[in-house]
Amino acid sequence: MNAENVKSQMRKGILEYCILLLLKKEPAYTSDIIQKLQEAKLIVVEGTLYPLLTRLKNSGLLGYQWVESNQGPPRKYYQLTEQGEAFLGELENAWQELNSTINHIRNN
Amino acid sequence: MKKTLTVNLGGTVFHIDEDAYQLLEKYLSNLRIHFQKEEGADEIMNDFEQRISELLNDRIRLGYEVITLEHVEDVIKRMGKPEEIFGDDYTEERKEEFKAKAAPQVAAKKRLFRNPDDRIIGGVAGGLSAYLGWDPTAVRIALLLLMFFYYVTIPVYLIMWLVIPVARTATEKLQMRGESVTLENIGKTVTDGFENVSNNVNDYIQSGKPRTALQKIADAFVIVAGFLIKLLGIIIAIALIPPVAFMLIILVIVLFAIVIGLIGGGIGLLGGGVGLLGGGLGLLYSLFPFADWSSVSAYPEVTLIIATIAMILAIGIPLFALAHLLCAKIFKWKPMSTATKWILLILWFISTATTIVMGINFGWPIINNQGWHWNSYYPTQHIRFW
Repeated sequence: MNAENVKSQMRKGILEYCILLLLKKEPAYTSDIIQKLQEAKLIVVEGTLYPLLTRLKNSGLLGYQWVESNQGPPRKYYQLTEQGEAFLGELENAWQELNSTINHIRNN
Repeated sequence: MKKTLTVNLGGTVFHIDEDAYQLLEKYLSNLRIHFQKEEGADEIMNDFEQRISELLNDRIRLGYEVITLEHVEDVIKRMGKPEEIFGDDYTEERKEEFKAKAAPQVAAKKRLFRNPDDRIIGGVAGGLSAYLGWDPTAVRIALLLLMFFYYVTIPVYLIMWLVIPVARTATEKLQMRGESVTLENIGKTVTDGFENVSNNVNDYIQSGKPRTALQKIADAFVIVAGFLIKLLGIIIAIALIPPVAFMLIILVIVLFAIVIGLIGGGIGLLGGGVGLLGGGLGLLYSLFPFADWSSVSAYPEVTLIIATIAMILAIGIPLFALAHLLCAKIFKWKPMSTATKWILLILWFISTATTIVMGINFGWPIINNQGWHWNSYYPTQHIRFW
């Protein structure tokens, strides 16, 4: 059992939740999402994100459109779908529950 | 000085050093292997390429004109090596999946491939040594000795070159060495690829390693032989220019004659052979109606058929190669593979030699019977080669 390992598991567990949260605030380019997640120390390498975004998109939680950028070819601009918002609501509840569980255990 | 390549990555054109290209190529193809079972693998790979293109574009904007190995290494560090991207638990999970699905065929099965990373001509010796687990130099020396004592080794080598596939992907390279196809191993192959890039003849000679006296002699031999082959190629090319147009006409006549001969010779292989012979002879008759052909008809049929086929090949192969080259230039066809070129070249040498020998044999009695003026300078005895 290795602390680093458990920590990375925890981070991975909330990664989808965080992506949906980020996109709820505002639609974003992939590179923006990466930057924010890296600032939050949630991901180390960028490569982790692309399969995840594609998976979220394929399950209908995210949508994207190609948006022209001032530099280079058009890029994917992700946003939350309605289904994604509902999903996010569920995750929020789960997170609240987890939070209260932890607080409960910690304080008793 | 370094050679650069031009690549289209995510819709942007980059000039990239050869070694940097190979590293990037390996990286992408290994990611592709990881993702191949995933839904939307193409889309994920597109995202990767798009992002790498963006990152490289930043370098270009900083004023670098060419993407170097360092740039690609930085990009890979940023994007993450496969084992970083997939993490430990994912690796475990995929490994189980991989074992469950693919274990019966790929897990530890060794397959014979040609080794593109360790090759001098076709990579056959490199692949064999990887397959057998022997030292590649030993295999090469053994092959050379075999070729020297048993000429049959040479066609065997060529056939192996044609038949054995190249190990392109990391999975195939692992199978070549008989290592099981696990994510760690694939990852290791990618990381290995970081240091060990291309290894063709030039690198083989020009690698920085100190060379022994024997190796230096071998190098000199390779350089001289390469130069001679090129020189020979140029001489042949120059010599071929005037007769090519003439040969083209002859070829058309021959083909026409063959078709007529085929029809005349009837259905079936035997009929075809006779037809071929008829066609070839018909052509000769039509070209030189004044000669006395009675001596030719004294030869067995098989000899005549062989002579005709050899003649057609000797004329046809250069024409075919020329036509192919023209088509490749004009219609952007794929150029011939090295193996095809070698085999055509060897076939051409054989058929040309056969044509010349047969030609002398046929021609001699005809010229003698004709009583042409040089007849008196030479003895009238026939020189028979068989």
